[in-house]
Amino acid sequence: MSDAFRRIDVSKQEKAEIAKFKDKKILDETALDELRVELLRLINDRQGLNLLLDFSNVEFMSSAVLGLLGQIHRKMGTLKGKLKMCSIHPQIYEVFKLTNLNKLFSIHKDQAESLGKF
Amino acid sequence: MSETPSPGSAPSPYSPRHRVDVLIAEDSRIQAKMLEKRLVDAGHTVRWAINGLKAVELLKEKRPDLIISDIEMPEMNGYEFCKIAKTDPSWQTIPLILLSSLSDPVDIIRGLEAGADNYVTKPYDPNYLLGRMDSLLDTPLEAESPSPGSEMEVTISGQKFKVQAGRQQVLNLLVSIFENAVTKNKELIVTNQSLSVAKDSLQKAYLELTAFNEQIERSNKRMTRDLHAAAKVQQSLLPAKAIDVPSATVAWKYVPCNELAGDFLNVFPLDDEHLGMFIVDVSGHGVPSSLLAVTVGAFLTNRISDSSLLVRPGKDGGPPVVVSPAEVVTQLNNLFQADNQVGLYFTILYGVLHVPTGMLRFTSGGHPPLLHVPKEGPLKLFEVESFPVGFVPDVEFTEETLQLQPGDRVYLYSDGVPEAMDEKLDQMGNERMTALVESLRREPVETNVTKLLESVQAWCQPKGPLDDVSILGVEWKG
Repeated sequence: MSDAFRRIDVSKQEKAEIAKFKDKKILDETALDELRVELLRLINDRQGLNLLLDFSNVEFMSSAVLGLLGQIHRKMGTLKGKLKMCSIHPQIYEVFKLTNLNKLFSIHKDQAESLGKF
Repeated sequence: MSETPSPGSAPSPYSPRHRVDVLIAEDSRIQAKMLEKRLVDAGHTVRWAINGLKAVELLKEKRPDLIISDIEMPEMNGYEFCKIAKTDPSWQTIPLILLSSLSDPVDIIRGLEAGADNYVTKPYDPNYLLGRMDSLLDTPLEAESPSPGSEMEVTISGQKFKVQAGRQQVLNLLVSIFENAVTKNKELIVTNQSLSVAKDSLQKAYLELTAFNEQIERSNKRMTRDLHAAAKVQQSLLPAKAIDVPSATVAWKYVPCNELAGDFLNVFPLDDEHLGMFIVDVSGHGVPSSLLAVTVGAFLTNRISDSSLLVRPGKDGGPPVVVSPAEVVTQLNNLFQADNQVGLYFTILYGVLHVPTGMLRFTSGGHPPLLHVPKEGPLKLFEVESFPVGFVPDVEFTEETLQLQPGDRVYLYSDGVPEAMDEKLDQMGNERMTALVESLRREPVETNVTKLLESVQAWCQPKGPLDDVSILGVEWKG
Protein backbone atom coordinates (compact mmCIF):
# COMPACT_ATOMS: atom_id res chain seq x y z
CA MET A 1 0.00 0.00 0.00
CA SER A 2 2.92 2.35 0.59
CA ASP A 3 3.37 2.62 -3.17
CA ALA A 4 -0.17 3.87 -3.68
CA PHE A 5 -0.95 7.56 -4.13
CA ARG A 6 -3.66 9.08 -1.98
CA ARG A 7 -4.01 12.46 -3.62
CA ILE A 8 -3.47 11.64 -7.30
CA ASP A 9 -4.66 9.00 -9.75
CA VAL A 10 -1.79 7.98 -11.98
CA SER A 11 -2.26 6.44 -15.41
CA LYS A 12 0.32 5.69 -18.06
CA GLN A 13 -0.46 6.67 -21.63
CA GLU A 14 1.68 6.17 -24.69
CA LYS A 15 2.77 9.80 -24.83
CA ALA A 16 2.80 10.79 -21.18
CA GLU A 17 2.02 9.87 -17.61
CA ILE A 18 -1.14 11.49 -16.32
CA ALA A 19 -1.51 12.54 -12.70
CA LYS A 20 -5.10 13.49 -11.93
CA PHE A 21 -5.71 15.36 -8.70
CA LYS A 22 -8.31 13.52 -6.62
CA ASP A 23 -9.24 16.39 -4.32
CA LYS A 24 -12.11 18.78 -5.01
CA LYS A 25 -10.47 21.35 -2.77
CA ILE A 26 -6.75 21.81 -2.23
CA LEU A 27 -6.68 24.41 0.50
CA ASP A 28 -4.76 23.33 3.59
CA GLU A 29 -1.04 22.94 4.09
CA THR A 30 -1.34 19.21 4.85
CA ALA A 31 -2.96 18.47 1.50
CA LEU A 32 -0.35 20.59 -0.23
CA ASP A 33 2.58 18.87 1.50
CA GLU A 34 1.20 15.42 0.69
CA LEU A 35 0.71 16.42 -2.94
CA ARG A 36 4.28 17.69 -3.07
CA VAL A 37 5.64 14.41 -1.71
CA GLU A 38 3.50 12.30 -4.06
CA LEU A 39 4.28 14.28 -7.21
CA LEU A 40 8.02 14.26 -6.47
CA ARG A 41 7.83 10.52 -5.82
CA LEU A 42 6.04 10.04 -9.14
CA ILE A 43 8.66 12.07 -11.02
CA ASN A 44 11.39 10.18 -9.19
CA ASP A 45 14.19 12.00 -11.05
CA ARG A 46 13.26 10.31 -14.33
CA GLN A 47 15.03 12.03 -17.21
CA GLY A 48 12.86 13.14 -20.12
CA LEU A 49 9.58 12.28 -18.41
CA ASN A 50 6.38 13.59 -20.02
CA LEU A 51 3.92 14.53 -17.31
CA LEU A 52 0.35 15.79 -17.62
CA LEU A 53 -1.43 17.21 -14.56
CA ASP A 54 -5.21 16.87 -14.83
CA PHE A 55 -7.19 19.39 -12.74
CA SER A 56 -10.71 18.27 -13.71
CA ASN A 57 -11.70 17.32 -10.13
CA VAL A 58 -10.36 20.50 -8.58
CA GLU A 59 -12.91 23.22 -7.89
CA PHE A 60 -11.03 25.26 -5.31
CA MET A 61 -7.36 25.60 -4.59
CA SER A 62 -5.25 28.01 -2.60
CA SER A 63 -2.69 30.08 -4.43
CA ALA A 64 -0.02 28.15 -2.52
CA VAL A 65 -0.63 25.30 -4.99
CA LEU A 66 0.91 27.54 -7.64
CA GLY A 67 4.14 27.40 -5.65
CA LEU A 68 4.07 23.63 -5.85
CA LEU A 69 3.38 23.76 -9.61
CA GLY A 70 6.35 26.10 -10.00
CA GLN A 71 8.51 23.65 -8.11
CA ILE A 72 7.38 20.76 -10.33
CA HIS A 73 7.89 22.93 -13.41
CA ARG A 74 11.50 23.71 -12.47
CA LYS A 75 12.16 20.10 -11.49
CA MET A 76 10.89 18.88 -14.86
CA GLY A 77 13.07 21.51 -16.53
CA THR A 78 16.22 20.16 -14.90
CA LEU A 79 15.21 16.62 -15.97
CA LYS A 80 14.64 17.77 -19.57
CA GLY A 81 11.08 16.53 -19.26
CA LYS A 82 7.84 18.09 -20.47
CA LEU A 83 5.09 19.28 -18.14
CA LYS A 84 1.57 20.10 -19.26
CA MET A 85 -1.65 20.87 -17.44
CA CYS A 86 -5.28 20.47 -18.47
CA SER A 87 -8.94 20.81 -17.48
CA ILE A 88 -8.46 23.80 -15.20
CA HIS A 89 -11.69 25.20 -13.71
CA PRO A 90 -12.34 28.78 -15.03
CA GLN A 91 -12.22 30.38 -11.58
CA ILE A 92 -8.89 28.71 -10.86
CA TYR A 93 -7.59 29.69 -14.29
CA GLU A 94 -8.18 33.33 -13.26
CA VAL A 95 -5.48 32.90 -10.60
CA PHE A 96 -3.10 31.59 -13.27
CA LYS A 97 -3.91 34.61 -15.40
CA LEU A 98 -3.54 37.07 -12.54
CA THR A 99 -0.08 35.79 -11.74
CA ASN A 100 0.76 35.47 -15.43
CA LEU A 101 1.55 31.79 -14.87
CA ASN A 102 -0.74 30.84 -17.75
CA LYS A 103 2.18 32.05 -19.87
CA LEU A 104 4.78 30.06 -17.97
CA PHE A 105 2.88 26.77 -17.93
CA SER A 106 1.65 24.81 -20.91
CA ILE A 107 -2.11 24.61 -20.28
CA HIS A 108 -4.71 22.90 -22.48
CA LYS A 109 -8.44 22.34 -22.54
CA ASP A 110 -8.47 18.61 -21.85
CA GLN A 111 -6.39 15.43 -21.79
CA ALA A 112 -6.79 14.72 -25.50
CA GLU A 113 -5.59 18.18 -26.50
CA SER A 114 -2.66 18.03 -24.07
CA LEU A 115 -1.56 14.57 -25.17
CA GLY A 116 -1.58 15.76 -28.78
CA LYS A 117 1.01 18.42 -27.92
CA PHE A 118 3.68 16.24 -26.30
CA MET B 1 -22.98 -17.57 27.53
CA SER B 2 -24.84 -18.01 24.32
CA GLU B 3 -27.77 -19.83 22.84
CA THR B 4 -25.66 -20.51 19.81
CA PRO B 5 -23.76 -23.72 20.30
CA SER B 6 -20.28 -23.01 19.02
CA PRO B 7 -18.17 -26.21 19.02
CA GLY B 8 -14.96 -24.19 18.74
CA SER B 9 -15.39 -22.21 21.90
CA ALA B 10 -17.64 -24.48 23.98
CA PRO B 11 -16.11 -26.58 26.73
CA SER B 12 -16.17 -30.36 26.18
CA PRO B 13 -19.75 -31.35 25.23
CA TYR B 14 -21.91 -32.76 28.01
CA SER B 15 -22.40 -36.48 27.72
CA PRO B 16 -25.89 -37.32 28.99
CA ARG B 17 -26.72 -40.34 31.14
CA HIS B 18 -30.19 -40.71 29.56
CA ARG B 19 -31.10 -40.85 25.90
CA VAL B 20 -34.78 -40.11 25.50
CA ASP B 21 -37.53 -38.81 23.25
CA VAL B 22 -37.89 -35.03 23.67
CA LEU B 23 -40.76 -32.75 22.60
CA ILE B 24 -39.84 -29.14 21.95
CA ALA B 25 -42.44 -26.33 21.85
CA GLU B 26 -40.74 -23.26 20.40
CA ASP B 27 -42.09 -20.62 17.99
CA SER B 28 -38.67 -19.47 16.80
CA ARG B 29 -37.62 -21.77 13.98
CA ILE B 30 -33.93 -20.88 14.39
CA GLN B 31 -33.86 -21.42 18.15
CA ALA B 32 -35.77 -24.68 17.77
CA LYS B 33 -33.30 -25.91 15.14
CA MET B 34 -30.28 -25.01 17.29
CA LEU B 35 -31.78 -26.75 20.32
CA GLU B 36 -32.76 -29.78 18.23
CA LYS B 37 -29.21 -30.09 16.93
CA ARG B 38 -27.74 -30.02 20.44
CA LEU B 39 -30.21 -32.64 21.65
CA VAL B 40 -29.73 -34.93 18.65
CA ASP B 41 -25.93 -34.58 19.00
CA ALA B 42 -26.35 -35.67 22.63
CA GLY B 43 -28.19 -38.82 21.53
CA HIS B 44 -31.82 -37.80 22.08
CA THR B 45 -34.63 -38.03 19.58
CA VAL B 46 -36.54 -34.83 19.00
CA ARG B 47 -39.93 -33.70 17.82
CA TRP B 48 -40.74 -30.01 17.41
CA ALA B 49 -43.99 -28.06 17.68
CA ILE B 50 -44.27 -24.41 16.65
CA ASN B 51 -46.73 -23.54 19.46
CA GLY B 52 -48.64 -25.04 22.41
CA LEU B 53 -51.54 -26.27 20.28
CA LYS B 54 -49.26 -28.22 17.95
CA ALA B 55 -47.37 -29.54 20.96
CA VAL B 56 -50.62 -30.97 22.40
CA GLU B 57 -51.23 -32.72 19.06
CA LEU B 58 -47.75 -34.24 19.17
CA LEU B 59 -48.37 -35.30 22.79
CA LYS B 60 -51.47 -37.15 21.66
CA GLU B 61 -49.59 -38.85 18.85
CA LYS B 62 -46.90 -40.26 21.11
CA ARG B 63 -45.93 -39.75 24.72
CA PRO B 64 -42.43 -38.16 24.98
CA ASP B 65 -40.03 -38.75 27.86
CA LEU B 66 -39.43 -35.03 28.43
CA ILE B 67 -40.88 -31.70 27.32
CA ILE B 68 -39.03 -28.42 26.78
CA SER B 69 -41.31 -25.46 26.18
CA ASP B 70 -40.79 -21.79 25.42
CA ILE B 71 -43.25 -19.41 27.10
CA GLU B 72 -44.03 -16.68 24.58
CA MET B 73 -45.75 -18.46 21.66
CA PRO B 74 -48.74 -17.59 19.47
CA GLU B 75 -52.08 -19.48 19.66
CA MET B 76 -51.21 -21.25 22.95
CA ASN B 77 -48.40 -20.04 25.20
CA GLY B 78 -46.06 -22.15 27.33
CA TYR B 79 -48.06 -21.78 30.58
CA GLU B 80 -51.32 -22.87 28.93
CA PHE B 81 -49.61 -25.78 27.24
CA CYS B 82 -47.91 -26.75 30.53
CA LYS B 83 -51.24 -26.65 32.38
CA ILE B 84 -52.82 -29.02 29.83
CA ALA B 85 -49.88 -31.42 29.97
CA LYS B 86 -49.77 -31.40 33.76
CA THR B 87 -53.50 -31.91 34.39
CA ASP B 88 -53.84 -34.88 32.05
CA PRO B 89 -53.13 -38.05 34.09
CA SER B 90 -51.39 -39.77 31.16
CA TRP B 91 -48.94 -36.88 30.70
CA GLN B 92 -48.51 -35.35 34.16
CA THR B 93 -45.47 -37.46 35.04
CA ILE B 94 -43.56 -36.26 31.99
CA PRO B 95 -40.91 -33.81 33.26
CA LEU B 96 -41.46 -30.36 31.75
CA ILE B 97 -38.85 -27.61 31.51
CA LEU B 98 -39.98 -24.04 30.85
CA LEU B 99 -37.55 -21.75 29.03
CA SER B 100 -38.08 -18.37 30.60
CA SER B 101 -36.32 -15.08 30.91
CA LEU B 102 -37.47 -15.02 34.58
CA SER B 103 -37.57 -11.25 34.41
CA ASP B 104 -40.55 -10.97 36.77
CA PRO B 105 -40.85 -12.71 40.21
CA VAL B 106 -44.47 -13.49 39.30
CA ASP B 107 -43.12 -15.85 36.60
CA ILE B 108 -42.42 -18.31 39.42
CA ILE B 109 -46.08 -18.30 40.45
CA ARG B 110 -47.20 -18.70 36.87
CA GLY B 111 -44.86 -21.66 36.50
CA LEU B 112 -46.12 -23.20 39.78
CA GLU B 113 -49.75 -22.70 38.75
CA ALA B 114 -49.07 -24.28 35.38
CA GLY B 115 -47.34 -27.22 37.07
CA ALA B 116 -43.90 -26.79 35.52
CA ASP B 117 -41.12 -28.89 37.02
CA ASN B 118 -38.18 -26.80 35.99
CA TYR B 119 -37.11 -23.41 34.83
CA VAL B 120 -34.11 -22.76 32.63
CA THR B 121 -33.42 -19.10 32.02
CA LYS B 122 -32.69 -17.73 28.61
CA PRO B 123 -30.08 -17.35 27.29
CA TYR B 124 -28.92 -20.77 28.38
CA ASP B 125 -25.79 -22.83 28.06
CA PRO B 126 -26.76 -26.01 26.13
CA ASN B 127 -24.60 -28.13 28.44
CA TYR B 128 -26.42 -26.73 31.43
CA LEU B 129 -29.79 -27.65 29.87
CA LEU B 130 -28.58 -31.20 29.15
CA GLY B 131 -27.48 -31.52 32.79
CA ARG B 132 -30.86 -30.36 34.03
CA MET B 133 -32.62 -32.87 31.79
CA ASP B 134 -30.50 -35.65 33.29
CA SER B 135 -31.25 -34.72 36.88
CA LEU B 136 -34.98 -34.56 36.12
CA LEU B 137 -34.85 -37.97 34.42
CA ASP B 138 -32.90 -39.41 37.39
CA THR B 139 -35.93 -39.07 39.66
CA PRO B 140 -39.12 -40.14 37.87
CA LEU B 141 -42.12 -38.06 38.80
CA GLU B 142 -44.95 -39.70 40.76
CA ALA B 143 -48.49 -39.01 39.74
CA GLU B 144 -50.11 -36.83 42.34
CA SER B 145 -53.31 -34.90 42.28
CA PRO B 146 -53.29 -31.97 44.64
CA SER B 147 -55.86 -32.46 47.40
CA PRO B 148 -58.28 -29.59 48.15
CA GLY B 149 -56.25 -28.72 51.26
CA SER B 150 -52.93 -28.39 49.45
CA GLU B 151 -53.68 -24.85 48.29
CA MET B 152 -50.90 -22.48 49.38
CA GLU B 153 -50.94 -18.72 49.78
CA VAL B 154 -47.83 -16.92 48.54
CA THR B 155 -47.02 -13.18 48.60
CA ILE B 156 -44.71 -11.90 45.89
CA SER B 157 -44.04 -8.26 45.09
CA GLY B 158 -46.81 -7.24 47.51
CA GLN B 159 -49.35 -9.42 45.67
CA LYS B 160 -51.05 -12.47 47.22
CA PHE B 161 -51.38 -15.62 45.12
CA LYS B 162 -53.19 -18.87 45.83
CA VAL B 163 -51.38 -21.79 44.28
CA GLN B 164 -52.22 -25.48 44.09
CA ALA B 165 -49.12 -27.58 43.60
CA GLY B 166 -47.72 -30.93 44.58
CA ARG B 167 -44.75 -31.10 46.99
CA GLN B 168 -42.43 -32.73 44.49
CA GLN B 169 -43.24 -30.12 41.85
CA VAL B 170 -42.63 -27.28 44.28
CA LEU B 171 -39.33 -28.83 45.35
CA ASN B 172 -38.16 -29.47 41.80
CA LEU B 173 -39.08 -26.00 40.71
CA LEU B 174 -37.44 -24.42 43.75
CA VAL B 175 -34.27 -26.42 43.20
CA SER B 176 -34.20 -25.45 39.53
CA ILE B 177 -34.64 -21.80 40.33
CA PHE B 178 -31.95 -21.96 42.98
CA GLU B 179 -29.55 -23.74 40.61
CA ASN B 180 -30.33 -21.11 38.03
CA ALA B 181 -29.54 -18.40 40.54
CA VAL B 182 -26.25 -20.10 41.45
CA THR B 183 -25.26 -20.41 37.77
CA LYS B 184 -26.18 -16.81 37.09
CA ASN B 185 -24.28 -15.76 40.20
CA LYS B 186 -21.13 -17.56 38.99
CA GLU B 187 -21.46 -15.80 35.66
CA LEU B 188 -21.89 -12.50 37.45
CA ILE B 189 -18.70 -13.11 39.47
CA VAL B 190 -16.73 -13.84 36.28
CA THR B 191 -18.24 -10.78 34.58
CA ASN B 192 -17.44 -8.72 37.64
CA GLN B 193 -13.83 -9.86 37.57
CA SER B 194 -13.50 -8.96 33.88
CA LEU B 195 -15.14 -5.61 34.62
CA SER B 196 -12.69 -5.00 37.41
CA VAL B 197 -9.76 -5.77 35.11
CA ALA B 198 -11.27 -3.54 32.42
CA LYS B 199 -11.76 -0.79 34.98
CA ASP B 200 -8.11 -0.99 35.99
CA SER B 201 -6.90 -0.69 32.39
CA LEU B 202 -9.36 2.11 31.78
CA GLN B 203 -8.05 3.94 34.81
CA LYS B 204 -4.49 3.45 33.62
CA ALA B 205 -5.39 4.69 30.12
CA TYR B 206 -7.20 7.64 31.66
CA LEU B 207 -4.12 8.61 33.69
CA GLU B 208 -1.91 8.31 30.61
CA LEU B 209 -4.37 10.37 28.60
CA THR B 210 -4.50 13.02 31.29
CA ALA B 211 -0.71 13.26 31.36
CA PHE B 212 -0.64 13.41 27.57
CA ASN B 213 -3.32 16.11 27.53
CA GLU B 214 -1.38 18.16 30.04
CA GLN B 215 1.68 17.86 27.85
CA ILE B 216 -0.30 18.99 24.79
CA GLU B 217 -1.74 21.87 26.75
CA ARG B 218 1.71 22.97 27.90
CA SER B 219 3.05 22.78 24.32
CA ASN B 220 -0.01 24.58 23.06
CA LYS B 221 0.41 27.38 25.61
CA ARG B 222 4.05 27.74 24.70
CA MET B 223 3.27 27.84 20.98
CA THR B 224 0.46 30.34 21.50
CA ARG B 225 2.81 32.52 23.54
CA ASP B 226 5.44 32.29 20.80
CA LEU B 227 2.86 33.04 18.12
CA HIS B 228 1.63 36.12 19.96
CA ALA B 229 5.20 37.32 20.46
CA ALA B 230 5.96 36.73 16.76
CA ALA B 231 2.76 38.54 15.78
CA LYS B 232 3.82 41.51 17.93
CA VAL B 233 7.20 41.59 16.20
CA GLN B 234 5.46 41.48 12.83
CA GLN B 235 3.07 44.29 13.80
CA SER B 236 5.94 46.41 15.12
CA LEU B 237 7.50 46.37 11.66
CA LEU B 238 4.42 47.97 10.11
CA PRO B 239 4.52 51.66 9.24
CA ALA B 240 3.86 54.24 11.94
CA LYS B 241 0.20 55.21 12.26
CA ALA B 242 0.84 58.81 11.30
CA ILE B 243 3.21 59.02 8.37
CA ASP B 244 4.42 62.56 7.97
CA VAL B 245 4.98 63.12 4.27
CA PRO B 246 4.66 66.56 2.75
CA SER B 247 2.34 66.68 -0.26
CA ALA B 248 0.91 63.21 0.37
CA THR B 249 -1.73 61.59 2.56
CA VAL B 250 -1.24 57.95 3.47
CA ALA B 251 -3.65 55.46 5.06
CA TRP B 252 -3.42 51.69 5.50
CA LYS B 253 -5.12 48.67 7.02
CA TYR B 254 -3.58 45.31 7.73
CA VAL B 255 -5.61 42.43 9.18
CA PRO B 256 -4.06 38.95 9.36
CA CYS B 257 -6.56 36.06 9.16
CA ASN B 258 -4.53 34.16 11.78
CA GLU B 259 -2.06 35.36 14.41
CA LEU B 260 0.68 35.62 11.82
CA ALA B 261 0.24 36.99 8.34
CA GLY B 262 1.74 36.11 5.01
CA ASP B 263 0.99 39.69 3.99
CA PHE B 264 3.21 42.63 4.76
CA LEU B 265 3.07 46.27 3.78
CA ASN B 266 5.08 49.41 4.32
CA VAL B 267 5.31 53.01 3.18
CA PHE B 268 8.20 55.36 3.95
CA PRO B 269 10.26 58.25 2.58
CA LEU B 270 13.30 56.95 0.69
CA ASP B 271 15.00 60.34 0.58
CA ASP B 272 13.85 63.97 0.55
CA GLU B 273 11.93 63.53 -2.69
CA HIS B 274 10.76 59.91 -2.91
CA LEU B 275 8.07 57.95 -1.13
CA GLY B 276 8.41 54.16 -1.30
CA MET B 277 5.40 51.85 -0.84
CA PHE B 278 4.79 48.13 -1.14
CA ILE B 279 2.50 45.25 -0.36
CA VAL B 280 3.92 41.73 -0.22
CA ASP B 281 1.73 38.61 -0.17
CA VAL B 282 3.49 35.31 0.52
CA SER B 283 1.71 32.13 -0.63
CA GLY B 284 0.18 30.04 2.14
CA HIS B 285 -0.44 30.98 5.74
CA GLY B 286 1.08 30.41 9.12
CA VAL B 287 4.61 30.55 10.44
CA PRO B 288 6.66 29.76 7.28
CA SER B 289 4.74 32.31 5.18
CA SER B 290 4.90 35.03 7.83
CA LEU B 291 8.62 34.44 8.39
CA LEU B 292 9.22 34.97 4.69
CA ALA B 293 6.94 38.04 4.68
CA VAL B 294 8.88 39.59 7.56
CA THR B 295 12.22 38.70 5.96
CA VAL B 296 11.20 40.30 2.68
CA GLY B 297 9.94 43.30 4.64
CA ALA B 298 13.29 43.57 6.41
CA PHE B 299 15.07 43.75 3.03
CA LEU B 300 12.78 46.53 1.90
CA THR B 301 13.79 49.34 4.28
CA ASN B 302 14.75 52.92 3.65
CA ARG B 303 18.07 52.59 5.47
CA ILE B 304 20.75 53.87 3.16
CA SER B 305 23.49 51.30 2.67
CA ASP B 306 25.47 49.61 -0.09
CA SER B 307 23.52 46.41 0.52
CA SER B 308 20.12 48.15 0.59
CA LEU B 309 17.74 47.09 -2.11
CA LEU B 310 15.86 50.39 -2.14
CA VAL B 311 18.23 53.27 -1.60
CA ARG B 312 22.04 53.39 -1.91
CA PRO B 313 24.56 56.01 -0.90
CA GLY B 314 25.47 58.49 -3.67
CA LYS B 315 28.86 58.36 -5.34
CA ASP B 316 31.57 60.62 -3.92
CA GLY B 317 29.31 61.87 -1.12
CA GLY B 318 26.53 62.86 -3.52
CA PRO B 319 22.82 62.49 -2.71
CA PRO B 320 21.50 58.93 -2.13
CA VAL B 321 20.31 56.98 -5.16
CA VAL B 322 16.81 55.53 -5.19
CA VAL B 323 16.83 52.15 -6.88
CA SER B 324 14.22 51.74 -9.62
CA PRO B 325 11.21 49.51 -8.75
CA ALA B 326 12.01 47.14 -11.63
CA GLU B 327 15.51 46.58 -10.31
CA VAL B 328 14.24 46.12 -6.75
CA VAL B 329 11.82 43.36 -7.76
CA THR B 330 14.39 41.74 -10.07
CA GLN B 331 16.82 41.65 -7.12
CA LEU B 332 14.15 40.17 -4.86
CA ASN B 333 13.53 37.48 -7.47
CA ASN B 334 17.22 36.59 -7.44
CA LEU B 335 17.31 36.50 -3.64
CA PHE B 336 14.10 34.57 -2.95
CA GLN B 337 13.83 31.58 -5.27
CA ALA B 338 10.98 29.34 -4.13
CA ASP B 339 13.08 26.18 -4.25
CA ASN B 340 15.23 27.55 -1.44
CA GLN B 341 12.16 28.18 0.73
CA VAL B 342 9.92 25.05 0.62
CA GLY B 343 8.11 26.21 -2.51
CA LEU B 344 6.98 29.49 -0.99
CA TYR B 345 6.78 32.41 -3.39
CA PHE B 346 5.28 35.86 -3.10
CA THR B 347 3.61 38.56 -5.08
CA ILE B 348 4.60 42.18 -4.63
CA LEU B 349 3.55 45.60 -5.80
CA TYR B 350 6.32 48.10 -5.23
CA GLY B 351 5.96 51.78 -6.11
CA VAL B 352 8.10 54.89 -5.80
CA LEU B 353 6.39 58.28 -5.85
CA HIS B 354 8.46 61.28 -6.85
CA VAL B 355 6.82 63.74 -4.49
CA PRO B 356 7.75 67.02 -6.23
CA THR B 357 6.30 65.94 -9.61
CA GLY B 358 3.69 63.30 -8.78
CA MET B 359 5.37 60.74 -11.04
CA LEU B 360 4.71 57.21 -9.78
CA ARG B 361 6.90 54.35 -10.97
CA PHE B 362 5.82 50.86 -10.01
CA THR B 363 6.53 47.20 -10.66
CA SER B 364 4.42 44.18 -9.98
CA GLY B 365 5.56 40.65 -9.29
CA GLY B 366 2.38 38.72 -10.10
CA HIS B 367 0.40 41.04 -7.82
CA PRO B 368 -3.22 42.24 -8.27
CA PRO B 369 -3.44 45.50 -10.26
CA LEU B 370 -2.89 48.98 -8.86
CA LEU B 371 -6.10 51.00 -8.52
CA HIS B 372 -5.80 54.57 -9.77
CA VAL B 373 -8.49 57.01 -8.60
CA PRO B 374 -8.01 60.31 -10.43
CA LYS B 375 -9.43 63.46 -8.85
CA GLU B 376 -11.87 63.55 -11.77
CA GLY B 377 -12.68 60.89 -14.36
CA PRO B 378 -12.99 57.13 -14.37
CA LEU B 379 -11.11 54.75 -12.04
CA LYS B 380 -8.56 52.45 -13.63
CA LEU B 381 -6.87 49.20 -12.71
CA PHE B 382 -3.23 49.05 -13.82
CA GLU B 383 -2.11 45.55 -14.46
CA VAL B 384 1.56 44.78 -14.99
CA GLU B 385 2.19 41.44 -16.61
CA SER B 386 4.79 39.57 -14.57
CA PHE B 387 5.45 36.34 -12.71
CA PRO B 388 5.34 36.14 -8.94
CA VAL B 389 8.67 36.58 -7.19
CA GLY B 390 10.63 33.36 -6.77
CA PHE B 391 8.89 31.49 -9.56
CA VAL B 392 11.19 31.78 -12.49
CA PRO B 393 14.92 32.46 -12.06
CA ASP B 394 16.70 35.27 -13.92
CA VAL B 395 13.61 37.16 -15.02
CA GLU B 396 13.79 40.90 -15.75
CA PHE B 397 10.83 42.73 -14.25
CA THR B 398 9.46 45.74 -16.08
CA GLU B 399 8.24 49.04 -14.76
CA GLU B 400 5.18 51.21 -15.40
CA THR B 401 4.88 54.94 -14.85
CA LEU B 402 1.79 56.89 -13.92
CA GLN B 403 1.71 60.68 -13.82
CA LEU B 404 -0.53 61.71 -10.95
CA GLN B 405 -2.48 64.99 -10.88
CA PRO B 406 -3.02 66.85 -7.62
CA GLY B 407 -5.76 65.08 -5.65
CA ASP B 408 -5.19 61.74 -7.44
CA ARG B 409 -5.06 58.61 -5.34
CA VAL B 410 -3.62 55.13 -5.77
CA TYR B 411 -4.56 52.01 -3.83
CA LEU B 412 -2.40 48.94 -3.34
CA TYR B 413 -4.05 45.84 -1.86
CA SER B 414 -3.52 42.14 -1.42
CA ASP B 415 -5.68 39.52 -3.16
CA GLY B 416 -7.53 39.14 0.16
CA VAL B 417 -9.68 42.09 -1.03
CA PRO B 418 -10.93 41.11 -4.54
CA GLU B 419 -10.78 37.37 -3.75
CA ALA B 420 -12.70 37.68 -0.46
CA MET B 421 -15.26 34.86 -0.51
CA ASP B 422 -18.78 34.80 0.86
CA GLU B 423 -20.56 31.75 2.23
CA LYS B 424 -21.29 30.44 -1.28
CA LEU B 425 -17.61 30.92 -2.19
CA ASP B 426 -18.48 33.82 -4.50
CA GLN B 427 -15.68 36.35 -4.72
CA MET B 428 -16.05 40.03 -4.04
CA GLY B 429 -14.30 40.76 -7.32
CA ASN B 430 -12.66 43.80 -8.88
CA GLU B 431 -15.96 45.34 -9.96
CA ARG B 432 -17.49 45.52 -6.48
CA MET B 433 -14.19 46.76 -5.10
CA THR B 434 -13.85 49.61 -7.61
CA ALA B 435 -17.57 50.49 -7.33
CA LEU B 436 -17.15 50.93 -3.58
CA VAL B 437 -14.08 53.15 -3.96
CA GLU B 438 -15.89 55.11 -6.68
CA SER B 439 -18.78 55.79 -4.30
CA LEU B 440 -16.35 57.00 -1.65
CA ARG B 441 -14.01 59.08 -3.83
CA ARG B 442 -15.08 62.35 -2.18
CA GLU B 443 -14.32 60.91 1.28
CA PRO B 444 -10.82 61.07 2.80
CA VAL B 445 -8.33 58.30 1.91
CA GLU B 446 -8.50 57.07 5.51
CA THR B 447 -12.28 56.59 5.20
CA ASN B 448 -11.86 54.73 1.90
CA VAL B 449 -9.36 52.30 3.36
CA THR B 450 -11.47 51.69 6.48
CA LYS B 451 -14.72 51.21 4.52
CA LEU B 452 -13.03 48.90 2.03
CA LEU B 453 -11.78 46.69 4.88
CA GLU B 454 -15.25 46.72 6.50
CA SER B 455 -16.90 45.69 3.26
CA VAL B 456 -14.46 42.76 2.90
CA GLN B 457 -15.26 41.68 6.45
CA ALA B 458 -19.02 42.04 5.79
CA TRP B 459 -18.69 40.07 2.53
CA CYS B 460 -17.02 37.19 4.40
CA GLN B 461 -19.69 36.87 7.12
CA PRO B 462 -20.23 34.83 9.20
CA LYS B 463 -16.82 33.18 9.22
CA GLY B 464 -14.66 36.21 8.48
CA PRO B 465 -11.90 36.49 5.84
CA LEU B 466 -9.90 33.34 5.06
CA ASP B 467 -6.98 35.37 3.78
CA ASP B 468 -4.94 38.27 5.12
CA VAL B 469 -6.26 41.66 4.08
CA SER B 470 -3.86 44.52 3.33
CA ILE B 471 -4.86 47.88 1.88
CA LEU B 472 -2.64 50.90 1.32
CA GLY B 473 -3.95 54.20 -0.04
CA VAL B 474 -1.87 57.26 -1.04
CA GLU B 475 -3.16 60.64 -2.18
CA TRP B 476 -0.83 63.09 -3.92
CA LYS B 477 -1.75 66.64 -3.02
CA GLY B 478 0.53 68.26 -5.58
